[in-house]
Amino acid sequence: MADLDRADVLRFIDAAAPGSPIVLGLGGIAREMLAVAGRKPNHFVSLDAMGQTVSVALGIALGLGHRTRAGKVIAIEGDGSLLMGLSVMSTVGHLKPETLVVYVLDNGVYLATGGQPTASADIDLAAVAEACGWRGARDVQTAGELAAATDWALTAEGPVLIRVRITTAQLPAEYFLEDPAILAEEFRRWLRAQPPQKEP
Amino acid sequence: MTGAGSVAGETGETDRRVLEQRSAAIIAGIEAIDPDHVLHLASSTLKIVLAHFIDGPGARPGRRVFAMPREEEGVAIAAGLELAGARPVLIFQDNGIGNLLTALLTLSQAYHLPLLAVVSRRGGLGEYNSMIHTISERAEALLDAAGVRWFQLDARTPVGRWAAEIERAWAFARATHRPVFVLVNLMGS
Repeated sequence: MADLDRADVLRFIDAAAPGSPIVLGLGGIAREMLAVAGRKPNHFVSLDAMGQTVSVALGIALGLGHRTRAGKVIAIEGDGSLLMGLSVMSTVGHLKPETLVVYVLDNGVYLATGGQPTASADIDLAAVAEACGWRGARDVQTAGELAAATDWALTAEGPVLIRVRITTAQLPAEYFLEDPAILAEEFRRWLRAQPPQKEP
Repeated sequence: MTGAGSVAGETGETDRRVLEQRSAAIIAGIEAIDPDHVLHLASSTLKIVLAHFIDGPGARPGRRVFAMPREEEGVAIAAGLELAGARPVLIFQDNGIGNLLTALLTLSQAYHLPLLAVVSRRGGLGEYNSMIHTISERAEALLDAAGVRWFQLDARTPVGRWAAEIERAWAFARATHRPVFVLVNLMGS
């Protein structure tokens, strides 16, 4: 039984990876991250494009490679959105971006639209990742498991996936109505400002 | 050989020559852009172009070439690549336009992220698939309705101009901060 709330997980990830580019899935993930962490230049907020959060992060990871010391590229996705674009699991497994870390916050429902059930209860998403050729995946349900899995993910060679079982509790959060062109430019400027990787 | 057979044979030879000339022009145009990522989806009309990048001279060190399972996934990966300062080009068929509209409009278009897509036309004269015209004939109308900027390269543009036009489309996408599609007809029309 999940005992983690989404807001607590988001707060934890933000604190664990303050210097990493983080791509936030639409709806509650984006709004609750803004509520618990505020507006951060290293957070790329997807306002829609359901199903494409991991794909955007994959593109960032491929584009950056090891050119900067920005560290891991993190995607925070929901179970419903991931299932809408599940083909990206195979693309990630094929390309194997070493810096990609994907958190799937799995509450089993489309919470933002009223709690309609997704199919995730019957899907072993960690096994899907491993079957697609990802370098590792974990399934966590407690704060201790989340911390251990994050320590592993931020140091292991990617791509890795962490499925986090969460409750359906929601944090009261305002709609986020910023112009997406501004969001993209703020994130791009932050990326450009990251120091280059030292030559080996 | 009968007269009808000779005509069919000449048409086939002409179509093959047109396919090769236009494919070479597309390759030259994309190579002039020098993309570091080429995302592609299966296409019989683009097979010469795809072969160049997948395992031909275009498969060079420093360039990543890979298949996108769906066009919308490619759009989103390209958005991430663009944010990271990379130079992606997408290559696919026009019957996939329906798959990508939501991602294109809510991500690339809305976030002002340039994207160049080289999109082959299907469904016109010379088409062998009995049903693909039901989506392909509406490609321009779909893009117009979506507000996506596109240019067309077909028999009306001398093939000698194709490469330069593709390069200009890349520059136009970056200058206008939005997706730009180049619709290329490789089927002789």
